[in-house]
Amino acid sequence: MDSVIVLNGKERRFFAENVPNTLSSLLTQLDVLETTAVVEIDGRLVHPKDFSETLIRDGQRIELVRFMGGG
Amino acid sequence: MDMLTLAGRTFRSRLLLGTGKFDSNETMTRALDASGAEIITVALRRVDLDNPQDDLLSSIDQKSYLLLPNTSGARDAEEAIRLSRMARIATGIEWVKLEVTPDPYYLLPDPVETLKAAKILVDEGFVVLPYINADPILSLKLQDAGTATVMPLGSPIGSNQGLHTRASLRIILEQARVPVIVDAGLGLPSHASEAMEMGADAVLVNTAIATAKDPLGMARAFKHGVIAGRLAFLGGPRAPHLQASSSSPLTGFLREE
Repeated sequence: MDSVIVLNGKERRFFAENVPNTLSSLLTQLDVLETTAVVEIDGRLVHPKDFSETLIRDGQRIELVRFMGGG
Repeated sequence: MDMLTLAGRTFRSRLLLGTGKFDSNETMTRALDASGAEIITVALRRVDLDNPQDDLLSSIDQKSYLLLPNTSGARDAEEAIRLSRMARIATGIEWVKLEVTPDPYYLLPDPVETLKAAKILVDEGFVVLPYINADPILSLKLQDAGTATVMPLGSPIGSNQGLHTRASLRIILEQARVPVIVDAGLGLPSHASEAMEMGADAVLVNTAIATAKDPLGMARAFKHGVIAGRLAFLGGPRAPHLQASSSSPLTGFLREE
């Protein structure tokens, strides 16, 4: 079954064969290195050590942030 | 040696550097090195999913610098706290430069929301370095709340206007029980130097270095400006006065008195 996740404020559809099971697999699909990402799912922070065990579900709102240049 | 102590950690450099606005990560890392800075600020933003491998931290030797995440972009206490928690969970770093700037045009800090966020973050174990207007009463309230520093502005962020807040800064410096870091608006090494001459413990610079034609040269210039200002402060400058005071003896002239 296809799945829709709201990623950084935008809906993204994953086709059934590509729906990521875990947060780690989502980051891999997005080409985002795990060690560089801070993740919030439905407003709750996920500790990096839990990325591989955190399950992704249809309809979740996921924020992916990382450090950028700033003053 | 004259060291800067912040929240129990000591630093040789009294120049903190921001990492924004550099035209490349390579220029940034070279400017960081040239500045001698040991504390550098970083921001948290959404990952650009069209450019997912763009990673600032891969360019920075984290053993050489203390990363100081900021809460830039936060419009109220709640957003600032959210960003602070994100930064801590990602890095384990408990230090945060607290910025709450509801107005994007002047980027002036909101004193009410900043104090509110500071109290909560201190309770949660953060080392809080709050960016504030040069408000002596707010400075005292933040110190009482347990912040590690106060960071009054010289003029609006990135404006290069220099120290427009001298009179209030003097009061803040006189009353401070925590280190005072003058942040924002410093456009020239002489601005940084003046802040240090007045007794600031450190300064934070970003735009003036990152957007200079030669960021490396400007980083060096700020490094020396900060050192000169600090040495001048320690040297005990004398107050200015109207009347001249001869540097040479006023006796033994080649004329009849």
